[in-house]
Order: sequence, then structure tokens, then C-alpha cells
Amino acid sequence: MNTDALIDALARTVTPVPARSASRRLMLSLIGGTLITLALILSALPIRPDIASAIHSFAFWMKLSYTAAVGVLATRAMARLARPEPVRLIAFWPVLLPLGALAVIAIVQMSQTPTADWGAMWLGHTYRQCSARILLLSLPILAAFFWWLRQLAPTRPRAGGAVAGLAAGGWGATLYGLHCPEVTALFVVTWYSLGMALGGIAGALLGHRSLRW
Amino acid sequence: MVEGLAGDAVAHAALLRAVAPLLRAFYRRRVGHDDAIEDLVQETLIAVHTRRISYDRDRPLLPWLFAIARYKMIDHFRRSGRTGPVADAEELPAATDTEEQVNARLDLEQLLSTLPERQAGLIREMHLEGRSVAEIAHRSGIGESAAKVSIHRGLKALALRIRQVGQ
Repeated sequence: MNTDALIDALARTVTPVPARSASRRLMLSLIGGTLITLALILSALPIRPDIASAIHSFAFWMKLSYTAAVGVLATRAMARLARPEPVRLIAFWPVLLPLGALAVIAIVQMSQTPTADWGAMWLGHTYRQCSARILLLSLPILAAFFWWLRQLAPTRPRAGGAVAGLAAGGWGATLYGLHCPEVTALFVVTWYSLGMALGGIAGALLGHRSLRW
Repeated sequence: MVEGLAGDAVAHAALLRAVAPLLRAFYRRRVGHDDAIEDLVQETLIAVHTRRISYDRDRPLLPWLFAIARYKMIDHFRRSGRTGPVADAEELPAATDTEEQVNARLDLEQLLSTLPERQAGLIREMHLEGRSVAEIAHRSGIGESAAKVSIHRGLKALALRIRQVGQ
């Protein structure tokens, strides 16, 4: 087909793209994914029974701020990587800021605790399930983000998939906080971070395969 | 672009027609085979069309366009098994290109497209890429004086056309 004919054919199928429609669809995918994850939590895991008192505790808000901050920063990075303009990945270093902040809190808490109790602080009661559950809970959100990314034009499919996985992990972990009774920063900085990082790795592997265009 | 996004088929076709020569020049400088160049131009036009949702109206058009072109080029090299360094992002038009500069380039390409392809190519090499007459003559396999004459006549024709448009 010659190029002029191609252009005519393309122009015949042009439909309006409203301003901001990319960000609107991103919001749609985020809301859709988190609703599915929320439904999974409500059906499979009990909301922590002490939730009414827990929302007055430092630990609850510490977890929430950490995971939601990762979710927000990684979602923004994903939105940037979805646009095909030259980009330096180093520009996304602030994604690591929440991790640094929580590590500081963990060190402060450890310094106030006898060394003998550090092991219990680190493993909590649920370390065996925590990371895997966060990964599973992030999958519906990851799928929704990929639905969105595949309509856009990420020129770095692997990096785009990785931040999508990290963002999905952040949002999934935020919802998991409704169930999870753990309270120490050392626990969260280890097992929550591991769960979110697994989401990022899954996203990178999937992105490399399915975000090409 | 913005009118094309609004669903205006005529504006959309005009945009695709205007960027096609830019893409052709982009690939001609970087990809060897002529038949591959036209395929890449077409693939890029299709991507510009199907992925136009990824264009942010508040940002300059050319960096977006050439990032798509570069992605398609890397994809092409990957498929054809070529390895090695690929022209860097730094070579792409600066993100600071203003709309005026973009329009000037589009106008220039439009004017050049009124000349015979060969002549337009000579002018492009001489005045946009800054090659010497000797180099151009050698690359296109014609004599130096023939190249000079052709470029001179081409520029004269362009000047005439600009005067006609101005009136």
C-alpha cells in the first residue's frame, strides 16, 4: 500500500480523543483494579477485628502512608513512561524515598527495643503469608494497569511494566493493611517491601513480553 | 494534531501528510535500505494514529513523534538482527522545540516537496545537513558542477514559490 492511501485510510477511521482521556482511563483502571482487590480481601480475608481502635494508632497510618506513597509515586512514574518521549530512568529515584523514610523509623524503633526482641519484631506473626498475599492482591490492579498501558505507547516496556507492578503492589499493600495486624516498621519495611518488589518484578517480566507495540 | 484529536479527519490527514516527509528524512539518515524506510514511515504513521491518545496537548509534538519513530527503528533493527549502538536520544530534536520551529520545519518540508525528489534531496543535504558540494556530488554520483547547478536552480524555484505564496 502506498503511503498516501494509508494516510487516507487512517484518516477515515479517526475518532475524537477528548482532552485528558489518557488520565481519565488511568483513573478508571486504578479504581476498577482496586475494587476487585477489595472484593478479594473482603471475601477471603477478615478485616482486622480491632480496626476501629487501630485507625487511631501510629502503626496503621505508618503502613498506610508508606504503601500509598509507593502507589502514588510509582503510578506517576508509570504515567510518564507511558508517553513515548525520551526519558532517563534515574529521574524516578524519588520512588525509593518512602522506603528510606520507613527504614529510618524501623531503626529508631529497634534502638528502643531490647535486642532479644528484634527477631519477633522482624517476623511478626504473619511473615509467611504477607509478601505472597500482597503480590496476589496486586494482580488485579496490575492487570488493569496493563490494560491502560497497552493503549498508550511505552517505549521502555520493561521499565514501564516494572513501575506498573510496583504501583499495583503499593495499592494492593495499602488495601492489605485493612486485614494485616502487624505493627512494627521493621516488619513492614521487610515483608511489605518484598511483596511490592515482587509485583515490580512480575510487571517487568510481563511488560517485556506484552507491552511491545 | 489537536484538531485531529478532536476527530477532524481532514486535519488528521493533513498532519499525517505533513509528518511523513519528516519521518522519511529521519529514517533516511539512519536506516540503510530504501524499501525498509517506506515500511518504517508507514508503521510510524499507523502508530501515530492508533496511539494518539498518548500525545499530551500541552507538550511539543516533535519529541513525541520522533520518540515513536526511534522506537519503531529500534524494533526494526531488532527484527533484522542488527546489533550495536543506535543513535541516541540526544540527536533527536530538542524537547524545547517551539511550535514556531516545528511549523517552520513543516513549511520547509512542504516547499521542498514541490521540487523533484532528487533536487530536494540535494538541497536538504547541502543546507540542512551542512554537507559540502564535493561530498554531495560523490554520494549522489553526479558531477560537482551538476550538483551546484541543480541546487542553485532548486533554490531559485523555491524563492519564486515563496513570492507567489506571499502575493
